Amino acid sequence: MHFEQHFQQIVNGLTLGAIYSLIALGYTLVYGILAMINFAHSEVLMLGSFAALGLAVFAPTFFGASPLGLAALFAVSMAVAGLVNVLVERFAYRPLRTISRLAPLISAIGVSIVLQNAVFLWISTQALSFPQPGVSGQVSIFGASISALQLVILGAALGLMALLHFFVEHTKMGKAMRACADDFATAGLMGIDANKVIAITFFVGGALGGAAGVLYGMNYGSIKYNLGFLPGTKAFTAAVLGGIGNIRGAVLGGFILGFLEVLASGYIPDGAQWRDVIAFTVLIVVLLVRPSGLLGEKTAEKV
Amino acid sequence: MTRLHALVLAGLAVLSVSCGPKEKVVKIAVAVPLTGDMGTEGQGLRRAVELAVEEANAAKRFPHRLVAEPFDDRADPKEAVNVANLIISDPRIIAVVGHYNSGCAIPAAKVYARAPVAMISPAATNPEVTAQQLSSDWSGPRMAFRVVQTDDVQGSYAAEFAFKRLGKRRVSLLHDKTPYGQGLAEQFKKVFLRLGGGIVTEDGVAVGDKDFKALLTKIKGGGSGSEGIYFGGLYTEAGLLLKQMRELGMKDPFVFISGDGAKTSGLFDVAGDAADGAYLSIVGVPVEDLPSAKTFMEAYKKRWTGAGEELKPFDHFGYEASRIVFAAMEKGATDRAKMIEELRKTDFTGVLGLTRFDEKGDTLNKIVTMTRAKAKDRTFDSLR
Repeated sequence: MHFEQHFQQIVNGLTLGAIYSLIALGYTLVYGILAMINFAHSEVLMLGSFAALGLAVFAPTFFGASPLGLAALFAVSMAVAGLVNVLVERFAYRPLRTISRLAPLISAIGVSIVLQNAVFLWISTQALSFPQPGVSGQVSIFGASISALQLVILGAALGLMALLHFFVEHTKMGKAMRACADDFATAGLMGIDANKVIAITFFVGGALGGAAGVLYGMNYGSIKYNLGFLPGTKAFTAAVLGGIGNIRGAVLGGFILGFLEVLASGYIPDGAQWRDVIAFTVLIVVLLVRPSGLLGEKTAEKV
Repeated sequence: MTRLHALVLAGLAVLSVSCGPKEKVVKIAVAVPLTGDMGTEGQGLRRAVELAVEEANAAKRFPHRLVAEPFDDRADPKEAVNVANLIISDPRIIAVVGHYNSGCAIPAAKVYARAPVAMISPAATNPEVTAQQLSSDWSGPRMAFRVVQTDDVQGSYAAEFAFKRLGKRRVSLLHDKTPYGQGLAEQFKKVFLRLGGGIVTEDGVAVGDKDFKALLTKIKGGGSGSEGIYFGGLYTEAGLLLKQMRELGMKDPFVFISGDGAKTSGLFDVAGDAADGAYLSIVGVPVEDLPSAKTFMEAYKKRWTGAGEELKPFDHFGYEASRIVFAAMEKGATDRAKMIEELRKTDFTGVLGLTRFDEKGDTLNKIVTMTRAKAKDRTFDSLR
């Protein structure tokens, strides 16, 4: 194996990692504020990709190969996914928030099943082919030819992560989000409208999931009602690995998981079938050493 | 007997005639995946068997009515066993046309052997489906038959094709770890090595995996220069492999060869244009090229006109299997045991040509055809 191959493997790991990271951010943002795991997030991701497909089918001229059309496609899919996530929170989680920690969790699993079956029954039981974004072929970087599509995916994911960073660190709403994550009750006493902050958090997390759904469709070329399950589980794992509730942790965890998978299937003989075993063994080992994840902080039990 | 008694009795007799079963019904179970990824293929088989049954009923071939009863095994071995148990508990079912997947047919056959009821698979190609009946712990009679050729025939053919026709000497092997996929890959390997070719890498992937880029990058960069991939598996993974191969620049003369599980229009939905040029072997001859199947194809197209109800790759095998069952019934197979006996003696000329079974229950009609995918027309052209 020579340089070109290694470089391609790095790009493979980065693309996979970027998609995992984007999804992991959705889990971690919600957990940071409500300390609940939004199991419906994988379905929000799936709905994002179906929204993009719908747009591409019903307004094909609008969603051309132009960068503007592509950006519009992302914007609409993200808005749809974000909105779905907000509605789920409003109707399935908020009424249960004060009852017990377990109730919203079960409700989340219920929402996940409902959404998945709605698409299964009303849209399609089969894989639908996802339109290609007009980037194909290879580009040459450092003498290595790299898949152009992967670079677009990587660029879009990194761009969104940068936007999120700006939003959380440099806007008033971001500050409010951090305050709520820090201490929910006190933030409320300081005049922060907790429900609004929660709704916005769900919107942002859902939008990132929706974007990941579009990237997923582009990357694999076809989408299906159950596509969210596997990447959702992996991304949730990534979020835990990085320290759930921690934004940088989610990104780090996503990339580590992506690289672990590439390492397993690309470098270990007959490693493809051991990929998940290897990735999850590493996860267990990390959690044994650092139970709160790589970047997670040890927090005292909230009372 | 008083008059009143006679009247009551006559009344009862009338009642029992009008309320009881109007006519005798004999059922054929169609045990295939009707939902899920392989649902489209299974639905095609169901339509083919229903067509055969409707034709037999219309021609009044039997004094009783025939019914094709579909059972959904969801391409899942556990579900296949559940379905098989349901089937054997219905005494009106005289034979089973199924299952589609080898992974389902193997455990289900064990259940049918207990009844015993005959099973004719129209699609399961792993040798074990029938070979397991020869093992010493097989309980019950040999009741598994199939009208398709086995993977050994298909895998060997693909290996010879790759070596002789395409001139490939070094190939990478992939399979989806199922009895079908692994069986094909192992047979390919055996023959390819015997011919003097080399296997560069060998990897298993999981059904449901989406990302094969790391694996493909490894194959592409393998120091010993792989000239192509042989994949044992189904169309979803085959499609993703093709798409990601092309993205990584693995194009002609780098070849992709796979089996009949990947040769379906679904491949074009998953891979799009990337499917172009893929080689896919199929058991038998494509139905379009069979002169004997012309009437069948016309009847099928006339009966099934809805969306997504076009002819699927295994439909003519399902149709043939049903007609073999009818032929046995005409020869006096009126119950399950006699059906098994009669099927062993099958000597049937139909859509597939002459079908006879060997002592395992495998068809003696062994033809394999190689096809090449053409993405533009979503077709598979037979190579001669």
